[in-house]
Amino acid sequence: MSKEFIEIATKINYPLLSDWKSSGKKIVGYTCSFLPPEIFHAAGILPIRLRGIETESLNIADAYYGPFVCTFPKCLLQLAGEGKYSFLDGAVISTGCDAMRRLDECWRSAGKDYPNAIPSFFYYFDIPHKSDNHALKWFEDEIKLLIKAISNNFGVNISTENLQKSISIYNKGRRLLLELENLRMKEGVNITGEEAFAASISANLMPREDFNKSLSDWISDINSLPELKVSGKKRIMLIGSVNDDIDLVRLIEKAGALVVAENLCFGIRSEKDIVREDIEPIHALSYRYLSNSICPRMFGGYLERKGYLLEKVKSARIDGVIMQNIRFCDLHSSENGLFERDLEDAGIPSIRLEKEYGPLTETGRLRMRIDAFLERISK
Amino acid sequence: MRPEIYEYNYDWMLWRTCVAAANLGNGSDYEVKKMLDYVPYFRGIIEPVMNLGETGKSFLRMMAEYTENIVCAKKQGKKVALTTFCFSPTLLYAMDIVPISLEPMTVLGSVLWKRGCTDYMDYCSDLGFSETGCSSQRGSMGAYLAGLGAEIDLVVIDSAGVCDTNANAFAFAASYLKKPFYCLNYPAGLTDDRSKNYHREDYRALIAFLEKLTGKSFKEDKLRKVLEEYRKQDLIISELEELQRFVPSPFPVVYNFLIYAGRFFFAGKESYTKLLKDMLDVVKDNAKKGRSGISSGIEKCRAFFFYIDHYALDLKLWDWLDKNQINHMGNILSRAFGDTATYTKGMEEATYHIDTRDMDHMIDTLAEINARMPMVRSIRGPYDMPNMWLEESIAMAKMYKADCCVYNGTPGCRNTWSNVKLIANDLEKYGYPTHIMYGDAFDDRVESWEATAARLDEFFKIRGLL
Amino acid sequence: MKYVAGCDVGSLTSKFVIMIKGKIVCEEIIKSRPKPQESAETVMDKALQKAGLKKENISFCVGTGYGREQISFVNKSVSEITCHGKGARWLMPTAKTIIDIGGQDCKVIKLDSSGKIDKFITNDKCASGTGRFLEVMAKVLNVEINDLGKFSAKSKTPITLASTCTVWAQADIIKYINSGYSLDDIGAGINIAMANRVAMLVSTLKPEKDICMTGGVAKNEGVFTALEGIIGQRIKHIRKFDPQMVGALGAALLASESLTGEVKI
Repeated sequence: MSKEFIEIATKINYPLLSDWKSSGKKIVGYTCSFLPPEIFHAAGILPIRLRGIETESLNIADAYYGPFVCTFPKCLLQLAGEGKYSFLDGAVISTGCDAMRRLDECWRSAGKDYPNAIPSFFYYFDIPHKSDNHALKWFEDEIKLLIKAISNNFGVNISTENLQKSISIYNKGRRLLLELENLRMKEGVNITGEEAFAASISANLMPREDFNKSLSDWISDINSLPELKVSGKKRIMLIGSVNDDIDLVRLIEKAGALVVAENLCFGIRSEKDIVREDIEPIHALSYRYLSNSICPRMFGGYLERKGYLLEKVKSARIDGVIMQNIRFCDLHSSENGLFERDLEDAGIPSIRLEKEYGPLTETGRLRMRIDAFLERISK
Repeated sequence: MRPEIYEYNYDWMLWRTCVAAANLGNGSDYEVKKMLDYVPYFRGIIEPVMNLGETGKSFLRMMAEYTENIVCAKKQGKKVALTTFCFSPTLLYAMDIVPISLEPMTVLGSVLWKRGCTDYMDYCSDLGFSETGCSSQRGSMGAYLAGLGAEIDLVVIDSAGVCDTNANAFAFAASYLKKPFYCLNYPAGLTDDRSKNYHREDYRALIAFLEKLTGKSFKEDKLRKVLEEYRKQDLIISELEELQRFVPSPFPVVYNFLIYAGRFFFAGKESYTKLLKDMLDVVKDNAKKGRSGISSGIEKCRAFFFYIDHYALDLKLWDWLDKNQINHMGNILSRAFGDTATYTKGMEEATYHIDTRDMDHMIDTLAEINARMPMVRSIRGPYDMPNMWLEESIAMAKMYKADCCVYNGTPGCRNTWSNVKLIANDLEKYGYPTHIMYGDAFDDRVESWEATAARLDEFFKIRGLL
Repeated sequence: MKYVAGCDVGSLTSKFVIMIKGKIVCEEIIKSRPKPQESAETVMDKALQKAGLKKENISFCVGTGYGREQISFVNKSVSEITCHGKGARWLMPTAKTIIDIGGQDCKVIKLDSSGKIDKFITNDKCASGTGRFLEVMAKVLNVEINDLGKFSAKSKTPITLASTCTVWAQADIIKYINSGYSLDDIGAGINIAMANRVAMLVSTLKPEKDICMTGGVAKNEGVFTALEGIIGQRIKHIRKFDPQMVGALGAALLASESLTGEVKI
């Protein structure tokens, strides 16, 4: 079962997508975990988190973006320019951070220069950076506007009933992911961090019903799998900038550790926040997606994030935290600086790694640092 | 950080330097000339400022007053707020809170001292702050994080949704210093009703935050006084900037810098009004004589800086422009978009209006002013949307008859580095030769001024502008 | 007789140290070849020849450095951070903070009282702050890398250099040369730029006494003295041993411990 997730997590255009497309259904890509994919699901559209894996060069992206910019949006733009996202019927750019929101202009510009680079539905979704009441109200209106735009563009009706149904299906996936997290955290573990991470990445890519089924099946299989030999292996948590690179988890595990938890937007992160099913769905969605300050894009929410991190470190019995950030990701880089101070104060070893996004990372250098970190905490 | 840096408070040093420089203005020309020999390190900055005559002296006095307010805040029982240049300090003045605007404080250190603020910048990295974060904050922020300055009571900013790197720096400072934090957050739009309402609500929430924190309520009379002063300042600035449209421009090259620096430090305070009046006298006189504000009296070229200027060490950028007979036609920081400014013709929607009839209208005015502060106004939404960076840059370049456009920023500017290539292409299409500077406005270790100047020289020559 | 060895295959140089019963038998250093395995074998052969030994005489060998994964003859591979910590503490029992500037990166290591690694930080940004930076600059100046350090003492007004990027710094240097600045002032400026970069890492780790420096750059007096000035603390010289060989020495010490079963890594 984990093979399916690993395949999905390592391919931009995985087979399920072609099946979806050939049945005449639409796919929309989005860029940030603060956007509720339930909206698209309710419209019968497949929402997928856009990713930059399979990038080999940045020659296209660098023509639009300047030099001092994070490589994640650059990789997305590169793939779009190369036509690898030509299967998209739509894309939604969110105000995740400065570099991500400027993907709007860069992509539109590339759309003029490269055929099939830009989908016909292209939308700018404005998410506040805080969750005060007036910000929540703004966000709720923003969701309503997005629903209107989807309805108009794709000629669909996103009914309240459909939204409620989608919320329920997404919540089911959240509960399953939490179950998976518990399984990977337990003492006699039978799955690797790489496998678990691949599953959580797939949650952002697969049709939700398929995902729920696959995960549910896998979870039932897991208990019958043989226990891994984990004696002496250090339990690691991986946190930081956007990351959907299972190779990084593999690298850490190859060095002799076990990644038992993440705090990454492609990982199992805020699954505990279930969308309320007993209130008006748009209101429920806006509250769920904006009220948690889980990403440093939510300025002023450090204490909340620190609390979340320390709690997870404790529940997962973490021996060390690996904090990575993409170069020029100031938000995570400085947050990692604060985490480092507070983790070390709490007696939890940590290491900061600065690197490029996924496929552009030079693994040799990373390996040396990870080895040394593991040697340090193995004393 | 070098051990000797720990010996003195940053703001105290700036204060003493500014006071000494301001006092120099009281001397005779002979005394000033003699004195300059004794301050070789400061000469590069003091001499050009002194050469500005009364304007220069007013500017130095204003700086001395600003830094004195910071150093003496606690003695006077006032709260101290760490804030950003694009947050209008008017509200804080109306509430008797002393602002420390980090970027202008970095500029002060950068232009005044031989080594600029680089030690403090590196100190931020020592503490775990992102090394790639914007140097404009990292400079003076390092001093306050190291405890080498006035004690901070709160952090108030307005850059979320505008410049995340900026907001992130202040959020870091607030977390590090464990201080209360409020951040205004801006949506992409400026003029639609939804955005306007959001501006108002967010601003009122900020006032509630400040009132709770200071235990003081907002005084109507005080606010009115500050806003009326602001109105006066706007009228003078409008007159100044109208005269700047003349060819040749009667503006001495550094005047744009003085206008915005004054606004960031002292919008709504009398000493800024005095500075503006002094500037107007000079500009009017030049205009009457049909004389260019450039030292040689000859204007060969007019450059619009569509982002910010270059502050690392002395006033080298302006000096270079002056020597090359290029006038500076303003930048993103220059224009405030008050409805009395003639350049806003055709962009009325994007302006603010000062309305002091009652408390509610005054608060709306503040919210409107703040929503139009530099960056907040024009780099919040996609750059090619109405009222945003491209439209504004083209309007300004056209209005002020610029011959070319120049970008200068810092490598920390994630926002503009993500679309400067696009806007530069557009400006070229509109017929403006456009140059992108790759240095750092506050840190000459990134690219030395000599290298920057060589590239500027190359641009102006190759594009046939000189 | 049980000989042990440490083999450190770095990006610029490869080093080999042979020890017996806690004593250094011989040390060897060569310029690294394109292939790590080739570097490792060449430096080992040279060392063995020097010591009059054969490969079979080495009972245990620990590999370290960037190329350590590709050395076939080692019994175990350990990261160079651990090796530098080990080697430095052996040479200077009071050392608590070790600044190691290698060819490709710069590390600052803090040891606890028992000599184990307490914390470390590495510069993974770019070549500035590494030996490679000095190598590139020396090439531009057309001087030997080992001579760069001497310029600082003779310079009165060192140039200011763009210290954050090697490529830009290179352009700056060319400009200074063309403008007629003296070699002393340019060289001193390069050393200061390097020290500034390293100081940032050192300060982040809050160094504790005694501080020592390892790696090839430790031999550059200009960087050494500038760094002391910036961090405001004395850095102790490693005496009677080449600081560039400390990683290989640490590896040999770990090999010895592995053999006697003293310490597990």
